[in-house]
Amino acid sequence: MDLVLNVVLRRAVETLLVLLVLSVLVFLLTSLAPGDPAEEILRRGGIQPTAGSVAALRAELGLDLPLPVRYVQWLSDVVRGDLGLSYVDRSPVTAEIVSRLPATLRLAGAAALVAAGLALLASLRPRGLGGRVVTAVTVVVASVPPYIVGVLMISVVAVGLRALPTGGDTAAGAVVLPALTLGLAGAATLTRLLRADLAQALALPFVRLAAAKGLSPRRAVTVHALRVAAPNAIMAGGAALADLVAGAVVVETLFSWPGVGQLAISAIRQRDLPVVQAYVLVIGAATVLLLALADLCVAVADPRVRRP
Amino acid sequence: MRRRAAVVVPAMLLGMVLSGCGDTAEGGQDADRLTLAAPRDLVAGPQDPYFTHQTLRVWEPLVSVDDKLRPVPALATAWESGDGGRRWTFTLREGVRFSDGTALNAEAVVASVRRFLRIAPRQSAFFSLDAGMEAAYGQLDEVRADGGRVTFVLRRPVADLPGRLAGFYSMVQSPKAFAASGDFAANPVGTGPYTLARWVKGQQAELAANPHYYGTPPAYKKIVVKVIPDANARVAALRAGEVDGLIDKGALLSGQVAAVAADSRFRVVRSPSALTHYLTFNGSREPFSDPRLREAAELAIDRRTIAGKLLAGTAKPGAAFLSPVFGDLSDPGIAAAYDPAKARALVSAAGRPASPVTILISSAETGQFPYTDVAEVLRAAFEQAGLPAKVTVAEATKAVMEAGDYDVFLSAYSVPNGDADYLFRRFLRSDAPWNVERRLGYRNKEFDTLVDQASTETDPARRRELYRQLQRLLAADRPMIPIAYQDNPVVTITGVGGVVQNAAYVVDLGKLTPSG
Repeated sequence: MDLVLNVVLRRAVETLLVLLVLSVLVFLLTSLAPGDPAEEILRRGGIQPTAGSVAALRAELGLDLPLPVRYVQWLSDVVRGDLGLSYVDRSPVTAEIVSRLPATLRLAGAAALVAAGLALLASLRPRGLGGRVVTAVTVVVASVPPYIVGVLMISVVAVGLRALPTGGDTAAGAVVLPALTLGLAGAATLTRLLRADLAQALALPFVRLAAAKGLSPRRAVTVHALRVAAPNAIMAGGAALADLVAGAVVVETLFSWPGVGQLAISAIRQRDLPVVQAYVLVIGAATVLLLALADLCVAVADPRVRRP
Repeated sequence: MRRRAAVVVPAMLLGMVLSGCGDTAEGGQDADRLTLAAPRDLVAGPQDPYFTHQTLRVWEPLVSVDDKLRPVPALATAWESGDGGRRWTFTLREGVRFSDGTALNAEAVVASVRRFLRIAPRQSAFFSLDAGMEAAYGQLDEVRADGGRVTFVLRRPVADLPGRLAGFYSMVQSPKAFAASGDFAANPVGTGPYTLARWVKGQQAELAANPHYYGTPPAYKKIVVKVIPDANARVAALRAGEVDGLIDKGALLSGQVAAVAADSRFRVVRSPSALTHYLTFNGSREPFSDPRLREAAELAIDRRTIAGKLLAGTAKPGAAFLSPVFGDLSDPGIAAAYDPAKARALVSAAGRPASPVTILISSAETGQFPYTDVAEVLRAAFEQAGLPAKVTVAEATKAVMEAGDYDVFLSAYSVPNGDADYLFRRFLRSDAPWNVERRLGYRNKEFDTLVDQASTETDPARRRELYRQLQRLLAADRPMIPIAYQDNPVVTITGVGGVVQNAAYVVDLGKLTPSG
């Protein structure tokens, strides 16, 4: 297990460095974006603000300080878990993100179930009817933008059949349409990877031997073949999950799903930079951590990776 | 295993789908409950100067506006000016109680105004406390309660103080609603027909009838206003019967109106708003520093097509600088001609510009209005008149304009209240920030003098004549031209009646009733 520990340590240092670079990028991208946030904030309802108000607000928000000073202040707050105050309603951003994360995780989790379930189905029985249908549907869906898929689902299932709510997260079954919209897109990539690897693994001599030995096909697949086929799929799964969390931006807005993605879109529209920064930082950090976690899972599952 | 997986996975998916069936009637109308949807959250929270939007009718202002932007009584039943417009006295409605049961008095009104003055400038999700505040209270010397009435003493005469106070800037809430910091202590405490019963930020607001309301109790005991930011999802929720209506600015996109109006289940109410699409010329550089070419550009534009086709009939062709919602302040004598032949003649007389003119639009506005299409039509019209043109879509239009890197800018503007002076003073006076910073290059001493005269003229007839004179000047000088006056269509199911929307997109929720 020393080797595993080694992998963990190395990954931890790498992850920290990546997070630091991420924080610089997030800060620069949002701070150097064109336009004066103070003016945009004050210009609600199409009203031109006065120069005095803009100057006062710039000072209040600390926008008149030099960029490096602002970055250090911002980072030291972030490290302490304080993501600042919203420019629009002056409420704490950390609390807002924390209160909305569960909804996003619920949606991403449901979408991951859909994607993983479909990928398994299509990979285990690639030539069966189910497998073929899943492959065809996911490829079609993956090649259409999620927004269009979502609008179609709403108009057919929610408006036409009235089988499910059009949006929100309060009504029963509300998660189904957004989860399908997100999950179907993710399923296509996952299916292709898992199916190819599984086919290869099933053809390996030791798996054939296991079958020849009289091992049940189920054991042959789950204990032997899936373990060999897993690493690529785990990595892809980590990346796909990160995609789901990030892709939730479009789907959450369309389905009025109260997660962080919807928050990000409304913050971008209103130039609420602290919220945009927090969103990019949190999602970026989540992606980095997910990929690191996937790496670890692979290290545990696949002894070859542990070798220095 | 194989067979089982083939059964289990689809069964799981099917189960997920079926679990949602037959349980979607959480919205929908019953006798005293109504569910509406809006594109944004109409509650902004305790750190906002107002907490809720005026349309929710939780609080009321001293003065409101009607569909002609005329000041009409709300908590003030009457007002009079004295000392040549330097003193304004408002008489309060009698028998009004806040939702906590305490009585409305002049001291509460004064406290609300003083709070605004204390916390300004302050951003808001609705109307920031800055330029509009300055229009309302910029000349204020003192506000005092005097024998049950409220008196504003001004440093200089203001002819239309009630109009400038109308709406958000004269919001009255109980002094107990505010903490020492000026933020709200807890929930809003107003005098309107509804109270804010529950609020889930970014999702929905639940209003309950205010038991202390002085007027006729509202027909619906409870109103839920959901937030549905996506325009297609909003209409889908209406079609699916989850909501009974769509309200607020931009409730329906112009492209959606015809289809929704054609559906017999729904009733679309189109009422004019103060929002006007303007074309701003960069008069500080060639080619539009030449008035002949500004005239050519205006003559080349077919406003009827833009309003009728591109804005799908949700707007009317623009002519006078002030839209018809300003009532008799708007000059009906100004007509906008469409004359491509004359435009061509003007361009050849003035000389065809060597490089294309830049038509600038903001990416922030393309989501709400079909500005990309409008800009393309403008480009084609300019080119036919002999002015080569190109379209630029920018995120930060302010920076582009301040750099002078544009020739015309298409954008929509509104007024915070019934204040006509605002548009002239803030946009086009020689020292107006819009004019100076955005390089309009418009300098006209006569115009400046007229703006100042009009804002202090207390005689309605003379004031109207001054504003009409201003509009005739602008029609001749063309620093900025109105392309179209925008309506704000809202929709309810036919079972809901009493939908009235004023020019500031405020639908009076207290007046909604079940109807046949």
